[in-house]
Amino acid sequence: MAQDSGGRTLISPAQLRRGRSKVVYWILLFAVVAGFTLVFLGPLYWMVTGALKSGQEIAQTPPTLVPNDPRPQNYADAWTNLNLAKLLFNTFYYATGALLFQLVLDTAAAYALSKLRPVLGNLILGLMLATLMIPAMVLIVPQYVTVIDLPILHLNLLDSPFAIWLPAVANAFNIFLLKRFFDAIPEDLMAAATIDGAGPLRTLWSIVLPISRPILGVVSIFAVTAVWKDFLWPKLVMPSPETRTVSVGIYAFSAGTPMNVVVAAAVIAAVPTIVFFLIFQKNIMSGLTSGSLKG
Amino acid sequence: MSLPHYRRAAVVALAASLGLSLAACSTKSDDGSTDAKGKVTITVDCMPVGSQKDLVKNWNDDVAEFQRQNPTITIKSVSVGEQCNNPPDFTARLAGGTVTDLFYGYMTDLQQVLDSGQAMDVTEYANKNTIPTWDSIDPALKDVFTDNGKLYAIPTKNYSMGLLYNKALFQQAGLDVNNPPKTWADVRAAAKKISALGNGIAGYADYSAGNTGGWHFTAELYAQGGQMVTADGKKADFNNAMGKQVLQNLKDMRYGDNSMGQRQLLGWGDLLTLAGAGKVGMFVGAPDATTAIVTQFQGKYQDWAMAPMPGQDAPAKGTLGGGEGYFFKKGLTKEQVEAGLKWLAYEKLTPGKGQFDYARAKPQNQPVGLPQPTMFAVGSDAQKQELELRKANANVPVENFTAFEASPAPIKGEPRNAQAIYAVLDAAMSGVLTNPNANVDALLKTAESKVNQLLASNG
Amino acid sequence: MALTTAPGTGRQPGSRQSLPDRRSRARLGRRVRDNVTGHAFLIGAMLCFALFAWYPMIRGVVMSFQRTRRGETTWVGWDNYVRIVNDPSFWTAWKNTVYFTLLALVLGYVVPFAVAIVLNEFRHAKGYLRVLVYLPVMLPPASALFLFKFYVYDPSDAGLFNAIFRALHLPTSEWMQSSTMTMPAMVIASTWMNMGGAVLIYLAALQNIPGELYEAAELDGAGIWRRIVNVTIPQTRLILTLMAMLQIVATMQLFIEPLILANGAGTQDAATSVAYLIYQHGFFQNDLNGAAALGVIMLVALGGFSAVYARLAARQD
Repeated sequence: MAQDSGGRTLISPAQLRRGRSKVVYWILLFAVVAGFTLVFLGPLYWMVTGALKSGQEIAQTPPTLVPNDPRPQNYADAWTNLNLAKLLFNTFYYATGALLFQLVLDTAAAYALSKLRPVLGNLILGLMLATLMIPAMVLIVPQYVTVIDLPILHLNLLDSPFAIWLPAVANAFNIFLLKRFFDAIPEDLMAAATIDGAGPLRTLWSIVLPISRPILGVVSIFAVTAVWKDFLWPKLVMPSPETRTVSVGIYAFSAGTPMNVVVAAAVIAAVPTIVFFLIFQKNIMSGLTSGSLKG
Repeated sequence: MSLPHYRRAAVVALAASLGLSLAACSTKSDDGSTDAKGKVTITVDCMPVGSQKDLVKNWNDDVAEFQRQNPTITIKSVSVGEQCNNPPDFTARLAGGTVTDLFYGYMTDLQQVLDSGQAMDVTEYANKNTIPTWDSIDPALKDVFTDNGKLYAIPTKNYSMGLLYNKALFQQAGLDVNNPPKTWADVRAAAKKISALGNGIAGYADYSAGNTGGWHFTAELYAQGGQMVTADGKKADFNNAMGKQVLQNLKDMRYGDNSMGQRQLLGWGDLLTLAGAGKVGMFVGAPDATTAIVTQFQGKYQDWAMAPMPGQDAPAKGTLGGGEGYFFKKGLTKEQVEAGLKWLAYEKLTPGKGQFDYARAKPQNQPVGLPQPTMFAVGSDAQKQELELRKANANVPVENFTAFEASPAPIKGEPRNAQAIYAVLDAAMSGVLTNPNANVDALLKTAESKVNQLLASNG
Repeated sequence: MALTTAPGTGRQPGSRQSLPDRRSRARLGRRVRDNVTGHAFLIGAMLCFALFAWYPMIRGVVMSFQRTRRGETTWVGWDNYVRIVNDPSFWTAWKNTVYFTLLALVLGYVVPFAVAIVLNEFRHAKGYLRVLVYLPVMLPPASALFLFKFYVYDPSDAGLFNAIFRALHLPTSEWMQSSTMTMPAMVIASTWMNMGGAVLIYLAALQNIPGELYEAAELDGAGIWRRIVNVTIPQTRLILTLMAMLQIVATMQLFIEPLILANGAGTQDAATSVAYLIYQHGFFQNDLNGAAALGVIMLVALGGFSAVYARLAARQD
């Protein structure tokens, strides 16, 4: 947040105030704002309006900028035919559960690895971090076979939310982020708590967690977006239409649904997260840019 | 609270959170079979999906009526998507053991289902008592689902392919609606005229993605008189003059005449979407494609008619036939199997009921009078009955399909490992349809080596 | 660290006793108990790792040497590997995947860093620009890809790209239907969808560069480019190294783009990726064992790459 308080960046503020630089700055700023708007909002506009067009109009060349004869029916069809309410609810449910499981279990683990340092802790951390190097795709088949028939317990987790929640906990990146943050908490602060007679759990709860809010925010965002964006895993472990996530559901129905209805569904599916993001964008942005990764 | 308490609490909490969560998952595999009062519950998949409103309503009405007639049976319906058997999802369900008690499959799926160990032998249950029309059912259809003398599924639908064409576009292009193309040369000429209408209309369209490309390659190869694999099933048998002709026909139309439109890499729904929107003049398909165009893709059945499969310079030497049926999941009780058979009999195999309830389908503007499915052996009682009902309720002009019915090409079934082979041939189809410089010989050679390898490994 | 013995004195009066053996036994007991507590905090995450990461890794290797048929599993040695490597799509898939990864590095790695540097210089509209860049990240991937598939990459002139190119009198393309444009088109879509996260992480790193370093460099007469090379990049090296690693691991898993944009394999296998091949073997060809073998091959290849990368990165420091 350095430059928010007027800190120095690549180009000095003094230079920017000078005549020619100032002109260049404004031209550049204008160009970037216009360009970014086109690049990032343009396709979204195209998507929202395209889904309002008729099949004939969408195939027309050159394409129309504004739908000639808007057909909101496409959106209504998408909502009812694809049962989007259910799909959105499922996705939300999986994301929330994954978030809670990660917050509890990963925070506890990172805290243990950072502060309690039990024997073999470093080995365990190493084994966890090693999984960062393994693409999820490599494990997809054996993981899938495991979820069908959990070793020892012999449970079948297909169509159960735990098939998404529990694997989400095995997230080395989040543990790494949390541990790094906890490492930076001064020992004396911890020691002081211990002198006061606080056990590890209370130290975690009343000392560590309150100062770790920024990193918890970051981890939460990562946890939620990971579930929201995942595709193949939920596609495999949630084979029934009632348990599908919204991405998988739209994909499953895309083969037999008119194109514009599919895109209308895609738009509706994007609305909740976009709205959520626009409401909380300040928190999300500051969480992502300030709290986490310091080069 | 003293310290050790805290620690113990932490341990308990962590252990509990995991233990509980795992315990919670185990509660789902409950829904049982037969309870004390002799009630039977079975799950059935391939319920129509939400967009097919009439079909959903019909299905639900049928379930209600069936349960009324059989108070001891409860049917739980599951819908698995727009395509009841999308190969990867189907494989996943088989591998994961999450198939329903009665599960839908293609006629080509028998080996895969047997490999997965999920199929139940229903030979002793399938008879006149459970399925009143059992003896009328075409024995060839039963054979498809029989392995080593044991029956694993009940056939519920069959089809063979021909050439579907859009009468409205034929008229606009000045073609004779009553004289559809008979050879590929005719198809080519007609496609040229239709695509000349402009407006993004493709004279002829064909598949090249999601295994459907290979499916149509097979159909068109059969029309040439070829076969996909050798009689012993060990080698690919399409890298020859006939296979080349199939691809060459498509390549000539796509790039020679530019009469196949610009959109390629079409999968099942993509082509039907275009067809429903009136952008396709002709395509190879089964009669029930018109049903899909009407119920799912906002098209009109009045527009569509069907001719026999075109051959190279004479009528086709063969055409692809296939179909679907319901398998029974391993481990069902006798009562469940019998309940399942009764349901299939009601919904799929009784003239005047379920899929043959033409009186109901007609006012819903579904095409009635299509020449397929032909579940019952010619001359059997059920067949006569079904034919009469069909004629009485037909809303599709009979002449739209007379050409197709009058000169049917000999029907050939799909090869073993069909879906895996089809996936390979998608590449050859997409090659000629998207690359103006595609080398037909090279495409077939690659496909041949892939298929040989696949056959060797699946032995 | 002197404090580590102190807590005990507070809560355990007994340890004040002068008997040395008693004291050491108490210390031992406490060490055991501390360890138990530590592991209690760890156990939840560890079980999840064990079940869903470590065990599947072993299971994958085991499966790759087995074959399951009609419920019976047998050992088949290297058969699965032979079959997989002899699949004509095998090398195509690797070629495509490496090509995608390289293209994605050029576009998906350099572009976000450049964007972050530019954004960091602006004193206005910062919030707006950041929100814009991050917006696509919030789209479900299927939503974004259907947008590209149907509306942007439409092969006729009705598509967004072709309409723009046509208006600018540039040559149009059939995008996903052209075997040469398939990969670039997928990289563009994928970068558009994913770059927001990287931009924000780079921004965070940039904001932590002390301003004095730039001032010092400027006093030495370094221009903007030299300042980027001499200050910005060295100061963000750790994060750049980490992100390159993560990005490569992520792009090697290319899957949903071919699945949705190219209907799977694309035209003439132009979109087939290793990950898609795993999926195809496992779920189209009903060959989970072959898919596991391909997974192991991918693991070995990436493991080798990571080792080399880590060594190079370490040498540079």
